[in-house]
Amino acid sequence: MTTQQLRPIVSVFPIKGKVKTIKQVPLPSVFSAPIRPDVVRFVHTNMAKNNRQAHAVSTTAGEQTSATSWGTGRAVARIPRVKGSGTGRSGQAAFGNMCRGGRMYAPKKVWRKWHRKINTNQKRYAVCSAIAATAVTPLVMSRGHRVNKLPELPLVVSDQLQSLTKTRQAVKFLKFIGAYRDVEKVIRTKKTRVGQGKYRNRRHVLRKGPMVVYARNLGIKKAFRNIPGVETASVYTLNLLKLAPGSQMGRFIIWTESAFKLLEDIYGSWEKPSKFKSGFYLPRPVMVNTDVERIIKSDQVQTVLRNRRPRSRKYGKKIQRADPYEDMSVMVKLNPYYKTKLQKQKELEEKNKKERKEIVDKSRKEYEDWLYFSEEEEEEEEEEEEEGSDEDREIEVLSDEN
Amino acid sequence: MSKQVPETIKKQVKRSFNSKEVKKEKNQKRMTLLKDIQSKAFKRAEKYEKEYLDQEQKLVELKQKALKEGSFYREPEPKLAFIIRIRGIVGVPPKPRKILQLLRLRRIYSGVFIRLNKSSLRMLHFIDPYVTWGYPDVETVRALIYKRGHARVNHQRKIIDSNEMIYDKLQKYDIICMEDLVHEIYTVGKNFKHANSFLWAFKLKPPVGGFSTVKRSFVNKGEHGNREQYINTLVKKMI
Repeated sequence: MTTQQLRPIVSVFPIKGKVKTIKQVPLPSVFSAPIRPDVVRFVHTNMAKNNRQAHAVSTTAGEQTSATSWGTGRAVARIPRVKGSGTGRSGQAAFGNMCRGGRMYAPKKVWRKWHRKINTNQKRYAVCSAIAATAVTPLVMSRGHRVNKLPELPLVVSDQLQSLTKTRQAVKFLKFIGAYRDVEKVIRTKKTRVGQGKYRNRRHVLRKGPMVVYARNLGIKKAFRNIPGVETASVYTLNLLKLAPGSQMGRFIIWTESAFKLLEDIYGSWEKPSKFKSGFYLPRPVMVNTDVERIIKSDQVQTVLRNRRPRSRKYGKKIQRADPYEDMSVMVKLNPYYKTKLQKQKELEEKNKKERKEIVDKSRKEYEDWLYFSEEEEEEEEEEEEEGSDEDREIEVLSDEN
Repeated sequence: MSKQVPETIKKQVKRSFNSKEVKKEKNQKRMTLLKDIQSKAFKRAEKYEKEYLDQEQKLVELKQKALKEGSFYREPEPKLAFIIRIRGIVGVPPKPRKILQLLRLRRIYSGVFIRLNKSSLRMLHFIDPYVTWGYPDVETVRALIYKRGHARVNHQRKIIDSNEMIYDKLQKYDIICMEDLVHEIYTVGKNFKHANSFLWAFKLKPPVGGFSTVKRSFVNKGEHGNREQYINTLVKKMI
């Protein structure tokens, strides 16, 4: 259901002899429940508050004085001061949270809300998630458990484990199955607690080792009791605080065969409700197929996508362009007809020029002709007249020559 | 041992619109389109040149005819005006301010084309003291669009550097080249609105030789208001 591989079949291992499969059992549906770290975190933080003991400060602490303020005019702060004289305490400030020997700010009360209610369904959701996470090897490893030498995860072991009575037997089993490395880690990293807990009967701090889950206690509890780091639990009462210590999912769990099988009944599936939790079905995941990458790359999606748009910068490069009236190539790109137009204009101009020239020439010629002929006429006239001074004629003749 | 390419990658490459073959095909298509546009542009420009000449001649003929008959020829009222804002932003009352905004005259020496009808004439009446306007001729329209014509592309002001730009935006209005655009603006055709809104408001330079006085109207030896055909000389100084 998630990134984990679905393992429909899980091997059951013996508790001694050879590490090989003696049986195969189906994986219960719980292990396919959605792994929700957010739900687990929420439930864990609230559940963890439920084993707190009330504590408070004494109700009279800091109040057991009859101090009064001296008021103004005495060159001292206006805080209430202890009455009387003859002792160092007199005149000292009292009552305030800032005063030495005063009452604290907001003194702690026992009626603080120590415990938290969590919705039952949420609690069950978190437990299902946590159990599912115990089968995910990367999660178990990231939680810090040494699980490299295990034959399989989830680790299911024959019911003979439940009948162990001696610690020696239990240790032998753990070594046999490859779980002892986790126990060794616990032993190696036992330290004195940092902080004041060390002299409040909480001297040592241990890591968490493997958790052994059984269906029936036929001695198993006592056998594993003294092994550092190892916890036992009945499959009927799995505690989130143990399954996901510090709200970190992926505890290393060793299941007995009957406990493993019971998980199907205790937590039910999506079709069948739980036999022990009334009306409880396994939580449904929000996404059925979470391999988003694969979905996106699938044919069904890819063939329907539009093409990726080119990476257009919103404010693109400014296009530079020359002035078309100065650069002919730019002008022609915008108006391919321009060159032809210029040509035609030129031709037209020349044609007009030519015509004009012709007209002008023609009219000039006409004028000159007219002048010439009119002069001849005048000459003829003058000859006919036989009047007028010779001088004038001479002058005329001269002017004609000019 | 042959190298096995994963099937998903093969599919990806096949689907990819960036692959070489697809790009090549696209480019070829584009080239043919551009050629087509340019050839059409040539023919249309030729057609329009003839049209403008004919218009002029027709006008002359009609005038002459009227003169012969002893009557008058009343020219059709101008359809197109070019407005230039000649006053700045400071101290403009709200009504003229709004009208100037509506006409896209948001800064001094910006110019726009506008079709003249009763509504727009009334608008111009309100903004007369802030603008000068008149009736541009073909050469003015051409010069403006060629030299100072910027297109509104993707909410950006981009200089028109090829007919492809015009084709992309105005193809559906049958305007595919510069000459089409000029023609549409000058003759105030059916798609004048689209052609005009394609153009960003013209940003002109202050006039060479300056203004006399913007405070007076053109009629009163100032600069603002309607100056009819003298807008052409002004634009030449400002372009």
